[in-house]
Amino acid sequence: MVLLLAGMMIVAVGQIVLRVFFSGGFVWADELLKLMVLWIALIASIAASRSNRHLRIDIVSHFVPKKYARVPVMMVDAFASFMCGVLAWQSYRYVRLSVGDTVLVDVPAWMVYSILPVAFAIMSYRFLLSFGTEARQLVKPGQQ
Amino acid sequence: MFLGAALLILAIFGAPLFAIIAASAMLGYQKEGIDLMAIAIEVLGIASMPFLSAIPLFTFAGYLLSESKAPRRLVRLTGALLGWMPGGLALVALGACAVFTAFTGASGVTIIALGAILYPALQHDKYPDNFNLGLVTTSGSLGLLFAPSLPLILYGVIAEVSIDDLFRAGILPGLLMLVMLGGYSLWIGRGNRQTLKAFSFHELGAAIRESKWEIPLPIVVLGGIYSGKFAVSEAAAITALYVLFVEVFILREIPLRELPRVMRESMLLVGGILIILGVSLASTNYMIDAGVPQQILAYVAELVSSQASFLLLLFVFLLILGAILDIFSAIVLVVPLILPIAAQYGVNEVHLGIVFLAAMQLGYLTPPVGLNLFIASYRFEKPIMNVYYATFPFLVILMLAVIIITYWPALSLVLLGDP
Repeated sequence: MVLLLAGMMIVAVGQIVLRVFFSGGFVWADELLKLMVLWIALIASIAASRSNRHLRIDIVSHFVPKKYARVPVMMVDAFASFMCGVLAWQSYRYVRLSVGDTVLVDVPAWMVYSILPVAFAIMSYRFLLSFGTEARQLVKPGQQ
Repeated sequence: MFLGAALLILAIFGAPLFAIIAASAMLGYQKEGIDLMAIAIEVLGIASMPFLSAIPLFTFAGYLLSESKAPRRLVRLTGALLGWMPGGLALVALGACAVFTAFTGASGVTIIALGAILYPALQHDKYPDNFNLGLVTTSGSLGLLFAPSLPLILYGVIAEVSIDDLFRAGILPGLLMLVMLGGYSLWIGRGNRQTLKAFSFHELGAAIRESKWEIPLPIVVLGGIYSGKFAVSEAAAITALYVLFVEVFILREIPLRELPRVMRESMLLVGGILIILGVSLASTNYMIDAGVPQQILAYVAELVSSQASFLLLLFVFLLILGAILDIFSAIVLVVPLILPIAAQYGVNEVHLGIVFLAAMQLGYLTPPVGLNLFIASYRFEKPIMNVYYATFPFLVILMLAVIIITYWPALSLVLLGDP
């Protein structure tokens, strides 16, 4: 993620320098930037799953005591894990279909697109872990 | 129907919105017999939207600024400019927060970065405690309408409206909010004739010298964008690289080893926004294909006939929306659906954007779940009810401002050049 963000700044600024001073630039740079945004979006999304920072409607977490919120939280985690699993599976199917396509002149598209199934699979796993933690808390309260 | 209700309950229980949206899009696909794989293609659509790289880059720059000593310098500079007026400190707070929010994209960092400096200062100057709390809480989202705030950029990308136009359109409505809140602050502080300090060129000079590295930033960025020299995504790249260079290598306020942490921290919000954007591309495309906007329009047309009453309905709807959803999800989810409806009533799409964001700004402050309320409650260790109460007068004033903005389109559109 750090490399991607740094890379993005360099490519984007490089592009401006080329345009202003040499009135040129690379056709692929713009596409590269957009693909970097895609990768950042998904990798950052994994990070958001790990830190439990996905955007959500925050009513239960603010107003229901933790003790009673456990079952809803478990339902939510199970659901999120399942959805990420479905997303991972469906995007895996799409990636297999895109073998043979190319992006950025001659990079195989599947290499770039494979971030999709990978990221969703990791997120599915994260939500599952969180589900497991809550479930253990429910069975044996007080243990961390 | 049953599944829809189940999704709604999960959403209220706090399921990640992207999962809810993905589920509803897939249910729609299933019904229409579309291959579920299509959702992957829609998420990849993130990679075909223009200007989107501005969002991670500006967010990163904003987090860097808030971790450095820039907030302190900004307060000193505004203090040197405005502190000589009676009630000046309140104005300083409003001004500094607006600038800072515009540059950090309304993610709640303003309250944490600036509130920590301003709140004790206001207390020290004997302003009423609830006023201070309300002022700082409100200020946390005040610069939303000023360039280059993230919600403005996101609206431009989603609605396919010129981001430059939005940046121009936000200026006067944003100033209106500032002036109205400033007026209220002066009125509250009318008994408090104490000025912060006498105006001094010496202090102003010192404050300017201290901020000499940050002052070029708004000039270059805003100048560049408004003059059309560079696109917003390019401005974002320049800002990020410049801020990185200044705060880490010249002023050395953020050690190099801290950099990965700041990057990661800033990307959490970005990931949350962009993944919702990705799955929303799927759900809104499906809803538009299924004719949902037309159905809503038919329903709305039964309720209201004139533009004025449509705007009233819109205002009420946005207030409710803002109370439940955060501004980013709301833009991504709702804007594509109301754009065609608003067009039917002859509402200009740039004006709609300003109204939308201004109303959503209220959402940061509306109980029960306004983001700023919780951040303030947490940061200043006040009970949440106390924060509700303290923020209420400010909320009422901002609501008045939003009504004016809604019914006075010229305020937004006059700076666009062409009517």
